[in-house]
This record gives sequence, C-alpha cells and structure tokens, in this order.
Amino acid sequence: MDPILAAVLFAIIKISIILLGYVMLFATVLTWLERKYSALIQDRIGPNRAEVAGLRLGGLFHMIADPIKVLFKEDFMPRTENPIMYKMAPWLSVVPPMVIFAVIPFGPGDMFVISNAPLGMLFIFAIAGLGVYGSVFGAWASNSKFALLGGLRATAQMISYEVAMGLNLVGVFMIYESMSLQGIIVEQGETLWGFLPAWGLFLQPVSFILFMASAIAENKRAPFDLTEAESELVAGYFTEYSSMKFALFSLGEFIEIIAIACIASCMFLGGWQIPFVDATGGIILTSLQILAFLFKVFVLVWLQMTIRWTLPRFRYDQLMKLGWLYILPLSLANILATGVWLYFAA
Amino acid sequence: MKVTIDGRELEVENGTTILQAAQKLGVDIPTFCYHPGLSAPANCRMCLVNTNKAPKLLPACYATCMDGMEVKTNDEKTLRTRKSTLEFILLHHPVDCPICDQAGECVLQDNYFAHSAQPSRNFTRKNHKPKATPIGNNVILDAERCIVCTRCVRFCDEVSKTNELQVVNRGERSFVTTFPGRALDNDYATNTVDICPVGALTSRDFRFKMRVWFLKSASSICSGCSKGCNITVDHGGGNTQRYRPRENQAVNRWWMCDPGRLSYKQFQDNRLTDAQIDGVVHPVREALSAAARRLRSAGDPSKVAVVPSLLMSNEDAVALAVLTKRAGFGGWYVGGRAAGKEDALLQKADKNPNRAGVMAVAKAFGIETNPLTALATAGASATLWFGHEHAVDPKVLAAVQQLSRVVVASNASEWTAGASVSLPSRTFEECSGTWISVDGHLQRFAAGPEAKGASVAIWDLCFRLLRSLGVMDVMPPASPDQVVAEHGQAVPELASMPPALPPAPGRPDQLRKARAA
Amino acid sequence: MGYKVARPELNIFEKSYVPEILKGVGVSSRHFFRNIFGKKDIVTVEYPEVKPDYASRYRGHHRLMAREDGTARCVACMLCSTACPAHCITIEAGDYGDTDVEKYPVKFEIDLLVCVYCGMCEEACPCDAIRMDSGIHTPSQMYRKDGRVGKVDLMALGDLSIAKQGGELS
Repeated sequence: MDPILAAVLFAIIKISIILLGYVMLFATVLTWLERKYSALIQDRIGPNRAEVAGLRLGGLFHMIADPIKVLFKEDFMPRTENPIMYKMAPWLSVVPPMVIFAVIPFGPGDMFVISNAPLGMLFIFAIAGLGVYGSVFGAWASNSKFALLGGLRATAQMISYEVAMGLNLVGVFMIYESMSLQGIIVEQGETLWGFLPAWGLFLQPVSFILFMASAIAENKRAPFDLTEAESELVAGYFTEYSSMKFALFSLGEFIEIIAIACIASCMFLGGWQIPFVDATGGIILTSLQILAFLFKVFVLVWLQMTIRWTLPRFRYDQLMKLGWLYILPLSLANILATGVWLYFAA
Repeated sequence: MKVTIDGRELEVENGTTILQAAQKLGVDIPTFCYHPGLSAPANCRMCLVNTNKAPKLLPACYATCMDGMEVKTNDEKTLRTRKSTLEFILLHHPVDCPICDQAGECVLQDNYFAHSAQPSRNFTRKNHKPKATPIGNNVILDAERCIVCTRCVRFCDEVSKTNELQVVNRGERSFVTTFPGRALDNDYATNTVDICPVGALTSRDFRFKMRVWFLKSASSICSGCSKGCNITVDHGGGNTQRYRPRENQAVNRWWMCDPGRLSYKQFQDNRLTDAQIDGVVHPVREALSAAARRLRSAGDPSKVAVVPSLLMSNEDAVALAVLTKRAGFGGWYVGGRAAGKEDALLQKADKNPNRAGVMAVAKAFGIETNPLTALATAGASATLWFGHEHAVDPKVLAAVQQLSRVVVASNASEWTAGASVSLPSRTFEECSGTWISVDGHLQRFAAGPEAKGASVAIWDLCFRLLRSLGVMDVMPPASPDQVVAEHGQAVPELASMPPALPPAPGRPDQLRKARAA
Repeated sequence: MGYKVARPELNIFEKSYVPEILKGVGVSSRHFFRNIFGKKDIVTVEYPEVKPDYASRYRGHHRLMAREDGTARCVACMLCSTACPAHCITIEAGDYGDTDVEKYPVKFEIDLLVCVYCGMCEEACPCDAIRMDSGIHTPSQMYRKDGRVGKVDLMALGDLSIAKQGGELS
C-alpha cells in the first residue's frame, strides 16, 4: 500500500477514535453528569425522569433523550440580515475546541497522538483564539440587544484572558525547554529529589492556578459566565438560538472543558506519565499510562465542574480587574522568577 | 347681619339659613332631607348644629341666621347628636348594601362612615316593610331602606305637582308609598330616585345593571328634546348605562324628564360600526372614496340633496355647510324627529336637540333649507343623508329609496337600509361639541364612552369627504373647536363659544376623595 | 442619609482566593458525597408520585357555595370583582323578582388565567358565596377560552353553606 495513503488512513482512524470514541462520548456524558452532579451538590435529585423499559438508572437516559429532543425542536431563526453568519456561529464555537485534540497526546510515542507537532502549544493558542468568533458572530447576527451585549462581553473577556492564559504557560515552556506537548510530557517523567514527580504543578504552582482560572474564564463558565448571565442577559450571545444550534453551543462548551482538562494535565500533571515510572513500552504499561492520562483529565473536569457549582458569578468590573491587574502581572512576575531561577540553577 | 360659623365670621342677609351660610364658607354640614330645590321640613335632624341663640340644637337647613349668632358645627355636642341621629336612622335599616343599587352613591353610607362608624346595638328584630315593590314604570320602592326624609314626597308635591306619594303609618313603622290605586308614573318620576339619599327608590331601568363605582361620568346634554337639559352620562363597560340630571339653574335646575333619561337606548340598538358599500363592509377610507364617486356620478352637484341630522352638533353643521358650499351641493332638506309632548316643566314639543343650531348655520352660510317632505318632489339625483332619527314619511322614504344614497348615521333605521354607501358616525355621547337649545342656550357636551367600531365624528367625515371629492385646499381641522374657529366665524350664534366643561361632577365618594386631596 | 457599612477585612489568604475556593470545593464535595451515599440532605419532592402536604389555608380553584335550595349564595354584589386586583371576575346581575332574594348572578365567570389567587374575593364576599378552599390546583387548559370558568362549573365544585348573614336574627 502507498505509505502516504496508509498514513492518511491511519490518521483518519485516530481522529475518529479520539473525537467520536472519546471526546464526543465524554461530552455527552458530561451533559448528564454536570446536571446530576450540580443537583446533588445543591441537595436536589437532578435529571431522573427519562426511562427505558422501566429503567431509570438515575436519569442516565437523559443524555440520549436530550439530543433527540433538541434535534426535533423547532429551529427558530430570528429575522436577521446575516443568516450565513447566524448559521456559522454554532460551528465556530464547536469546531475549534475539537481541533485542539489534534495535538493532545493520549499516550507515549507517535501512536496515540493525531499530530505530534513540535510547536503544538502554539497551534492550540491559535485555534483557541478562533473560539471568540463563534460568540461574536452569533451575537451580531442574532439581531437582539441581549445577544449583542453578551457578545461584547464575551469578546472583551476572551481577549483579556487569552493573553494571561498564554503567558502562564511560558514558564512551563522555559522549564521543559519545549513547546511540543509530547516533549513536555516526556520531561515530566523525571523525579525530583527522589520523591516528587517533576510535574508542572510542583514546578510552576502559581502558573497552574492562574492557568486554570484563565482557562475557565476563556470557556465562559461560572464564575466567569458574564457573557450568558441569565439574570441580566437572558442567555447572552445565544439568546436567539434554538434547537440543535443551541445544543451546539453547549456541546462546544463541554468539549472545551475536556480540552482544557487535557491541556492542563499535559502541562501540569505529567500527561500520561505515571509517577515514579520513568519508562515506556509494553502493552500493559502503555495501557496504564493512557488510563492515567484519562484519569487526570477526569479529575480536572471534576475540578472545573465543582468550581462552577461552588462560586458565584463575578461582577464585570471584578472580572476585568482580576484579569488585567492580578493574573496578567502575576504571570509576568512568574516568568521573570522562573527566568531568574533557571539562570542561577544553570 | 353677622354670624360666626366655627370661628369664621360671615356677613349674611336676613333670612339666610345656617346651612346656606355654612355652604358659603365651605363648611360641611351633613344632611339627608334637605335639597336646595325643595322646601325644608327639617325632619331628618342630621343637620343639627349648636348655636348660642338656643338651648337646644337647631336644624341648620331650616333655622335662619340671627345677628351675632355663633354656630359650632363640630363641637362635642353636635358630633354626639349626629352620631345618635344616625344610630336612630339606622335602627331598622336593613343594611343590604351588597344588593342595593344605591351603594357607592348613598348619602347614608357616606354619613355613616364620616359621623358614626359604630356597630349596631340593636338586639331585637328589625322591622320588615315592603321590599322591591314597583311603584311606577320606572321606580322601585324598598321601604325598609327608607329613612323617611320625604324628599320624594315633596318632589311630587312641589316640582312635578302630581302628588302620588305619601308617608303612611307612624313612628318606626312609617314608610313612603303611593296613594292607593295610584302609580308613580309621571314624566319626572325618576328624579325621586336621584334625590333619594338612600336606596329606597331605585331606577327600574338601571336596576342591577352595574355597580356605580364602575361607572365613569361625562358632562353632556340630553338629546331627548330641544330643551337642552344638562346631564351626566354615566358609562361603563363601553356603553352608556344611565343619564343623570346635572344642575343648571338657567335650563333644567336639578331635574330631567323620564323620556329624556331613557333616550340613551335609541343609540344602543342596531348600532352601525362599519362602513358599508352596497351592504358589504369596507374600511372607512374606501367607503369615503366610493361615496365621492357615487356623488360625482350623479352629475350636476346641485342635484345632490343634503339632509342634515338635527342631532348634529354645531361643529358638525359648520363642517357640513363647508362641504355643501365647496362641493356645490343643493339645499338642505331638514327633517328630524316628529313633534311630541310638551309640558310646563321641561319637555318641549320639538324633540330635536339642535334644530336652532343647524338652522342658524344654514342661514349664516346662505344655504337654502326646505322641509324634508319637499325632497319627494325635488328631482334630486343623489342624496347625502345624515342621521337615522328622522320621522318616517312613506312618500319621502319611497322617493329616497330611488336615489343613490350616501348615508352617515350612528344607528340603522328605515332611512339607512339599502344605502349605496353607509358611513358610521359617532353618537353625540361619543363626541364633544355644542348644541343650541330651543331657548337659545349654546351649551357644550363632552365625550363619554369610547367610540364604537370604526365610527367617525361627522365633522371629521365631512372634511374627509370633501378631500375625497377633490377639494384639496381645505385643511381638515384637528378638533371640533377648530372647526368653529376656522370656518364658523360667519355664524353669529357661535361667536362666543362656551368655555370648556369642567370634569363631570363625580359621585359623593369621589368628591370626598377630591376634597381630602 | 446613607451610612457606611462595615466591610469585613480580608487577610492575604482570603484575598488570594485559592484557599477559599478550595474550602468551597470542600463544601460542595461534602454535599455531593452525603447525597450520593444516602440522599441525606435532598429536599426534592418527586411530585406526581409523592404529594406535598398543603397548608390548611391553601388557596386553590374557586368554588361557589349553595343555599339549602341549591341556588348560588352569591347575590351579585360584585364586591369580589371590585376587590379583585387582577379584574378576572365578570358578574352579570339579574333580578329574581322575589322580594326575599332580589339579586342573583345571571353570569359568574372567573378567568383562571388572569386570576392571581390572592384570595381577596373570598375576603370581600359578604355571603360566604365564593371560596377558594377546594384544594384543587389551577387546572391547565388547551385554549385560552377554557380558562374562563362559569357559574355552572364553580357551583359543581361548591357545597352547601349554612353560614348566616351578618347580624341576621332568625
């Protein structure tokens, strides 16, 4: 067989497995999990009504029932001058987070990553920056005041926090001297002083906290969900969306949760590395390492969800103040400190 | 003569009653039996006031002022007496306010809340008297509610001079009723309902129709005859519910006749709410162009006979005169309601409220007027017809039905049936305007209930029709007053228009609220 | 005049948010685990299967009470429609032609879609004619016109009331 064709086929298989078998499945489960989890936190029961043949399974069937419902709902479209923009917006908010998975390594070597790009993190920044167009296009084309206000907020917020998010990772790049995700993960396999894994979390703790904060802000989830503050803006930039278009916006949000968890676990939690096991190869070890990565991702998803259902929403001025006056200077200071430390350590 | 009422001095003429003096000062003395239009029997004892000229309290409505008299209307003795009087009056009152039509405009209710407001101390059975007894065509008697103030008896003795009513029995068993074999069916009977301070006499027409606090009021003029009695139009739920007389010493004093009181009904049956072209409903705008086309196709405009309604206001008449002159139509054929009963008190034989005004406008504009009967032989080719109320003359009706007819009317009648174009006009209740009564009083009326359907004021229709006829240099005025100001200067009768009407006098509770504010 | 509210001073740990966020995460997790193992704190009532207890003064669907002869106690005094803040009661009064009971409602209509269930009507009623103690929820309707409930339906929910009119001696 032609090696190029084989490589393309192999890539397509990998894309299908990762996106359909993992990302989409996980996102679908998350739609149910988030509601159930929040309900239990808030002393409620949560989704429990959908049943198949008398089985309810704690409302697990809601994750099947909801897409069916959403697909069959009336797709109402407001009277707008920009119908193409309006139809494009949901895709612009769902596709970029999916593309991010192109450079996420799920296991050691080239086998478990779609593209082991040497500048993978730059690719991620570039793609993540596109996400804002989904909300801006949707807001503008909706021809609604609430949507427009939500879109304006989304733009300002995402630009503010994108800067901080990028700067936070510079410290990690400096320490591991790489911008390839696979390279950074390999570097994290070492053990410091005999008992501490050389993870970004321990080498760059400030960076981790700031990255998580700005990543949640970037994803526009509570406590940073001012763009869809329902008490003020109905539903923000997707007020006028219904049916599957609306569902795509929330699907994009759930995929982005997973994407953030993946990036953070690659950057700060050693990716697929199992602590104190500095070795690769072998089917059993590789499977364990993939499972370790998935476990880390799940922990970070749990963290994001818990934070969302714990903290109240910021005020808009607090949001801007936090972004520009605290996170940005702190990440700059972090870079400086890292540089100084590296200079003297060398 | 100098009197002091509640510490305020007043110079009064000899013979002034204390109540009149107090009213001049704006001091409120509660009354039941006193009515300015009737004699004062001083039998309700509600207006008793303390004076320095008598050891006992004096009835303010009857006792005249004396020089140096000091009157106290709210000292402890007077207030205690009032409270006792009210308790006495209420001793056998059934307090069936929930089913009483007077509730809300009841003097007894108002005085009770203002001066007594105590629960009943009566522990015996109350006296029972005839309830819900019709004593005439228009009046129902509930003797239990009666406080025997005898206003109604005095009205029948002094104003209508028909003497149907009397007080029978003695003491707490006394009540008002008719003489045996007689009914309270004079033409002014319902005035007793108005002056009854409680719900003893209620109107059969208004009975249970609406609670009075749901009514809104508008000052207006009665359209029943040419006398021009001042009335208040009480309307609720979009319809006129009743007429009440409004005090005007120059015209009707406090009264009005029963036929006039019931005359609101003729505007409620068969109301025309939509414009029609050959019997098919169309928007007014289209009907106006159709009307213009029909009138033009009649050929010579002077062959178009104009029939004004005598219910038109002067403003409408001026607008119609402008239309007649500018469009070159022929003369006016004046019909109107047939002549009716006349009496010495208020009713006039001419049942058309604005004949004087329409004729004055026609004269001032130099429009030839003929009686409506002349239309049968006038050789007209088309007619512009106003009003549904004209007395039916078979010969004219037959002649008119041959013509191409543009009819402007508020209600359907023989005259409006089969019109080529029919335009809905508002009734006088729904418009503001002026009428000239048979005695020459130029009086204003205000709009009451909301206009029904697509109906338009006649003056407005005239100016719009003028534009549809192609006369574009006359700007349609914005209000009836503007019609007279711009086009009615030639009419000497309209030279000095009456001032705008104050808001309609409200019910007692509204007045009390207004005073408190 | 406004006055200054004493604000709690935050120390450096609280200002950094991080320990406080972790504490909050702890609270959330505690609730989660308490509820997932044993549903200890859950207050939700699973409505169609489990019915909550209504207060004894719960205001539900209106009903019209009847006299001993089966006619409505209502005398069409319109005090309820006067008191109604939502103007949802339409009454047309009629005359029985009887001196004992003069006035009765020819039409008594409540627009349940307009009603705010405030209970002013039963407060205002001098005859114990209208009550809201049926314990029935607001029914839902397919069409708006079905929200207008007439005298017949209201009487069907009603019952005999032998309350005496105020001050009446027999």
